[in-house]
Amino acid sequence: MLRFSEVKISNDDYTILAITFLLLLVGLVAIYSASYQVETPELRANFPHQLIWALIGSIFMIITILIPTSFYYIASYWLYGLSILFLIITLLSGSDSPVSRWIDIGPFRFQPSEFAKIAVILALARFLSNEKRNLEKIKDIAIAFGIAFLPFTLVAKQPNLGTAIVFLGILLPVIYWAGLPTFYLFIVIIPFVVMVASFNFYTFFLAMVMIIILLLLFRRGLAISLPIVLLNIAVGVITPLLWNQLHVYQKHRILTFLGLEIDPKGSGYQVIQSKVAIGSGGLFGKGLFNGTQTQLRFLPAQHTDFVFSVIGEETGFVGSIFVIILFLLLLLRSIQIASKVRNQFGSLVVLGAVTILGFHIIVNIGMTVGMMPVTGLPLPFLSYGGSFLIVCMILIGLIINASIRRYKY
Amino acid sequence: MMRPIILIEKKHYLYSILVIILFLILIGRFFYLQIYKRSFYFEASERNRIREIVIEPPRGVILDRKGEVLVDNRPSYSIYAIPFEVKKADSVLKLAAQIMNMTPAEVKSIIRREASGYFYPVKLKRQIDFETFVRIEEQKLDLPGIIYQSEPRRSYPAGVRAPHVFGYLGEINKDELTKPEYKGFRLGDVVGKKGLERVYEKELRGLRGYQYVEVDAFGREIQRLKDKPEVPAFPGKNLHLTMDADLQRCIEARMDTLRGGAVVVDCKTGGVLALVSKPDYDPEIFTKPVPADLWRSMVNDPGKPLYDRMVQSLYPPGSTYKIVLAAAALENGIIHPGWKNFCPGYLSFGKKTFDCWKQGGHGELDLIGAIEQSCNVYFYKLGLRTGLDTWATYSRQFLFGQPTDIDLIDEKAGNVPDRAYFDRVFGKDRWPKGLVLNLAIGQGDLLVTPLQMARLAMIVANEGVYYPFHLLDYLEDPADGKRQYARIDSVYIKGISPATYQIIKQGMYLVVHGPAGTARAASYGDIKVAGKTGTAQNPHGEPHAWFIGFAPFENPQIAFCILIENGGSGGRVAAPIAREIIKTYFYGAEKGHAQI
Repeated sequence: MLRFSEVKISNDDYTILAITFLLLLVGLVAIYSASYQVETPELRANFPHQLIWALIGSIFMIITILIPTSFYYIASYWLYGLSILFLIITLLSGSDSPVSRWIDIGPFRFQPSEFAKIAVILALARFLSNEKRNLEKIKDIAIAFGIAFLPFTLVAKQPNLGTAIVFLGILLPVIYWAGLPTFYLFIVIIPFVVMVASFNFYTFFLAMVMIIILLLLFRRGLAISLPIVLLNIAVGVITPLLWNQLHVYQKHRILTFLGLEIDPKGSGYQVIQSKVAIGSGGLFGKGLFNGTQTQLRFLPAQHTDFVFSVIGEETGFVGSIFVIILFLLLLLRSIQIASKVRNQFGSLVVLGAVTILGFHIIVNIGMTVGMMPVTGLPLPFLSYGGSFLIVCMILIGLIINASIRRYKY
Repeated sequence: MMRPIILIEKKHYLYSILVIILFLILIGRFFYLQIYKRSFYFEASERNRIREIVIEPPRGVILDRKGEVLVDNRPSYSIYAIPFEVKKADSVLKLAAQIMNMTPAEVKSIIRREASGYFYPVKLKRQIDFETFVRIEEQKLDLPGIIYQSEPRRSYPAGVRAPHVFGYLGEINKDELTKPEYKGFRLGDVVGKKGLERVYEKELRGLRGYQYVEVDAFGREIQRLKDKPEVPAFPGKNLHLTMDADLQRCIEARMDTLRGGAVVVDCKTGGVLALVSKPDYDPEIFTKPVPADLWRSMVNDPGKPLYDRMVQSLYPPGSTYKIVLAAAALENGIIHPGWKNFCPGYLSFGKKTFDCWKQGGHGELDLIGAIEQSCNVYFYKLGLRTGLDTWATYSRQFLFGQPTDIDLIDEKAGNVPDRAYFDRVFGKDRWPKGLVLNLAIGQGDLLVTPLQMARLAMIVANEGVYYPFHLLDYLEDPADGKRQYARIDSVYIKGISPATYQIIKQGMYLVVHGPAGTARAASYGDIKVAGKTGTAQNPHGEPHAWFIGFAPFENPQIAFCILIENGGSGGRVAAPIAREIIKTYFYGAEKGHAQI
């Protein structure tokens, strides 16, 4: 499988491996701290379980590295089709319970939505790396959007909006990397900026001035620029009008859907306790296994979504920044790899993997400090949970896979 | 198959910069939370984990002068449920509800409303009766999660009611919480609401202690905090009263069906020996939450049982007040003691006729005789001679219009009408001069409390020396037995000579012991009693019956005032109660009881 003549291992690959295992270690310690004092045996089993998941994940990573990149290219659409099929099965099979995220296969149960993340990266990479693609053409752009929107819709219906949004999050960075003209990116992003800005006259005015200046810089001529300006003015005028037509409960629903409305009893409580945990950690933290918020279980979901709060409380600013910098290095190295990989497919796969990891990292850590809505996105390598950990290890595997074969076309 | 890369080299810089910016924002946020706001969040986390457990000190008890316990504490039990335990089985709630005479739905709604954590006990019912307590205890094994905790509750073991004196406890209200004296109190705390419980709240209460325990997110106690030591509680001080339980019980029993009251004070100290106001209420009522309908019925009761008539009610003093006028006249040389007047049974003044109480009149009387027989006509004339101004001056000299400052609340000051008062009521100099005739016999706009009349009796008995009234003898610290006495400074009423007192006392002696005295029923045994009756006309029906006095005559030990609302003649109705008082106080309760 692995032909050494094709392979060239660089320092970047070792760095990424080292960071990955360091993060795994940090996560295991945090999970141990969060659950070793708990009476319930199921929770106390978290640590050994996660240890096993980490081993299984490492095996998955190695296998992912060993398989030639071309295999992923060939298998990408199949994998995509398979994961869509699984998502549909999940929706249908779980119809008796309101939330259906799991599928049981023999003794294992896994979340198809997690593996769909990999499938979408591969499918997008394959579609966008085809030399016939022209990202100036609406049709190709639309298909690329469709590849991401299909799993988004299926996962959002589960309902699991937090995970679903990841599929959209991948889209723009990947498609831009693949060569979407900056002007198109601009056109896609601008209406959303205008929507948000339109609730205040001055911000709206400022947004429009910026749009006009940027349009002048793009030099696309009046025939294209003027409709864009007019369209955005229309968006800016209509949005507040429509918004004010809505009932309070409708507004509430939309804000909740977007994750902007914080429910004071549910997620609000979690965020407050998480901020208290992190803030009370101070510079050096309360000491490992000594965090009162953690050990007395004031922290909700402290081994899963809020595992970073444990680190923040027990190891303080120093520990938090250490872990954050590990994440940052991982992402920067991976972006560099993406730019060094000589084939388009591999480069796009790496970038997709980076985007997924980065999206999870920023949203999750942002959530623990109250900067992001509580979406239920776990933290790569640190949060407890088998499916997601294996997916993250596979993503690392894909990055290294592309990196060591970067000269192969 | 796979085509070579065609991307712009600069793109990865753009992506890297974007990632770095986002991470810098995160790092900034961590700096803000962990460095800049560290102490704020640290305190919040301490508040999370540390629970303060209040240790209620035992409330001081109240004892009489001989050390008999009048107001005590007894354990009472409240039933609590621990939500986490109770939720496990429906049968527990059902059984508990049945024992407490509640429906399971009621119990559930209380738990839902009050629960503040899985492991915080929720109070289901306050002060259960003994039977309920026994049943809970018996079925303990079937009631996991149902617990009881003891709460201090007052009891009155001596059989002394005196509800107006003792007052009662109740949950602090929002108004009280805003007052500085209740700083540090919390809603739901039990404090003295009336009477001594209120006046000596601070002393009785003691100092709360605190324990600090570490709790987890479910409210379960994990451990005692080692770094925060326990603050011990200090028990409240015991109140030793000047009250004589035997005397108090005796008067309460004697006056049980009457409307009025009596006050007996120690002439040598000003200590109150008995203070009875009737109708009253059973102090037991307030030891548990008072049902709304019972409270309403007490408030609306025409007998006004909640009022302390001795302290809070104002009455015209009637003939008892003739003492004040006699003193004013003697001191100003308006008459000499031998001055005589003929009473035909009435006095014509202007167009009006003022009657004496005795039809046909008393005939010729001197001052002592007029006091003995309480002749109105004599005092009408004395009033006319003395005049309003002098009368008012001497009324104030005897401290009327001033509260006694006894250690109770809501005491009234009364009213001594004078020139300025009548000018205000009628217009300047437009008031009828005949008013002074009414005032001379203690009628009209003159208003006094029974306490003030007892004070007058004491001043006469002591010939000018007055000891401020008080119920508290001393505070005793139960921990070390240390006593703390209130400082009582005697007051000397100036401007009245011993000779004047001698004449008045002579008259008062004859009221009880003279052949024509109005209160011959007041004496008992060998004890010589001096007194003065009063029969005060009032718009509410029968006149109020008064009797004030002191005993023994030679060396006064006690002074008293008895009032019976709408009781009729003071000599006939009030004086026999004085006899009861003398008998009990000087001959002892046993003998007193035996002879009733």
